[in-house]
Amino acid sequence: MSKLQSPLTVTALSKRFADVTVLAGVDLTLAAGEVLCILGPNGAGKTTLISAILGLVAADSGEVKLLGQTQHGTSRSKVLRQQCGVMMQIGSLSANLTVAEQCDLFSSYYQNGYRASELVSLAGLDAHAKVRFGNLSGGQKQRLLFALALTGKPKLVFLDEPTLGMDVEARRNLWQQIRQLKQQGVAVVLTTHYLEEAEQLADRIMVLHQGQFIANGSPQQLKALTQYKVVQCCCSLTDAELQALPGVLQLSRQQGLVTLHSSQAEHTVKALFNQDPAISQLEVKPVALEQAFLQLTAPTAEQTSTNKEQAA
Amino acid sequence: MSSLTIYQKEAWYDLISVWRTPGFVLPALAFPVVFYLFFGVLFSPAGSNSHAAYMLVTYSCFGIMGPAMFNFAMNIASDRAQGWLTLKRLSPMPVSAYLLAKMVTSLAFAMLIILMLFSVAAIFGDVRLEQGQWLGLALLLLAGTVPFALIGLLLGLTLSDKAAPGVVNLLYLPMAFLSGLWLPIHLLPQFLQQLAWMWPSYHLSQLGLKLLAMDQGQPVLLHLTILLLTTALLTGLCLLIFRRYTGAK
Repeated sequence: MSKLQSPLTVTALSKRFADVTVLAGVDLTLAAGEVLCILGPNGAGKTTLISAILGLVAADSGEVKLLGQTQHGTSRSKVLRQQCGVMMQIGSLSANLTVAEQCDLFSSYYQNGYRASELVSLAGLDAHAKVRFGNLSGGQKQRLLFALALTGKPKLVFLDEPTLGMDVEARRNLWQQIRQLKQQGVAVVLTTHYLEEAEQLADRIMVLHQGQFIANGSPQQLKALTQYKVVQCCCSLTDAELQALPGVLQLSRQQGLVTLHSSQAEHTVKALFNQDPAISQLEVKPVALEQAFLQLTAPTAEQTSTNKEQAA
Repeated sequence: MSSLTIYQKEAWYDLISVWRTPGFVLPALAFPVVFYLFFGVLFSPAGSNSHAAYMLVTYSCFGIMGPAMFNFAMNIASDRAQGWLTLKRLSPMPVSAYLLAKMVTSLAFAMLIILMLFSVAAIFGDVRLEQGQWLGLALLLLAGTVPFALIGLLLGLTLSDKAAPGVVNLLYLPMAFLSGLWLPIHLLPQFLQQLAWMWPSYHLSQLGLKLLAMDQGQPVLLHLTILLLTTALLTGLCLLIFRRYTGAK
């Protein structure tokens, strides 16, 4: 595979389940060696997108090209099965087999993959090699599943919510392993609904919302995009006057208290004072990133279109 | 690694994984033996070992059917539910290795049950057969495992992991009774006897009884044809559903 070839291109991928459009013409191009985070709330279509790329779900239309080869429906090509590593959200192994046995079995599937003992070490489970899968802790299970995803020394790895249910330390360890993959030149597609995880790992973040990408950029770009502040005060201005203030994106009232979301809080506050010197109970607060992200995917049409323009 | 290794390992690990499930192993092995001891050996009319021989055939059929259906239905349903099958489908493992491994496990259990029941029959039931009859019966029963494994596969592919055990029981127990595996078929009411041809287990047990000249006298060809047709039909259905399943989820 040449350095320039994209390990994954997705063109106009669509999928409907009955009346619900889960993927509405998704486009995606992964650069060689890139870590791409697909971020979105539950139900955004992340798992369906991964499943359609992997041929576990038949897309209604669109094209998927994996490591230079066009994929056909759910036939799951050799390239996919031998050169891609996958860790799915619902991933459980036979509860009755030990760590060493699972690794032995999985390593037998691949011709030039890791040997069983190497996999056990990769999962960091040397001390637990004889423990049955069913008796491992949640974090240990995830580590084993992650190691098994790497069995065939893949060039492209898909991780669907890999840190779901992990504690902080286990999560940081997994992040470290994902960074190591990147250093080895492996391209990674990662889905998550933790903004922090995306920030920590990604070269690029794409935000999926209702089956469409609504934002695409580096973590810094997305952070800037979502960096606005909350201005609260009591004042005598009307809604129309408030909306006209510089930087105001959103407005709500609760018992005389006005809450504004502003992209330029300083200017907003200055204009507020100019128009109503008698304002009281003024407070300016930053928005937590998680909340900002929720904002980004909130179903306000205007907000969504603004983000799209900025991100483009 | 050679693909022979994949097949061997898949089969070996499937077998030990099932073997480590006491909830499956104990009933699978104990029920047929205990039932046979009770109804075939202890309640045998005095001085008659032909009753014990007759019941050996029917309880052997009963014994091999259960694990074949349960093993496939429950394990495949739970592999599907837990995502294990998804991971395997995304690996280079050939699907046939997965299915063959399950078949090997079913055959291994069938073999074990056959050996146990034959031993009980010979030791406690005073059943004396010719070497060819023992061997023929064992081979027939092993081959007879296949259609029931396919029924299990069909259920495993279509049912949820929670529904699978119940539905298997719902099919297994009535089918065993209506085929004359618990009580000799001629003791069942007339109309049930007339309906018995519907069940593959009836034909399997009649073939076994024919080896002992204790069957109801229908031609071998009839039983064989129905068993083979059932097997072919089930294979086709399984392939169809396996393809649909691969596409749909």
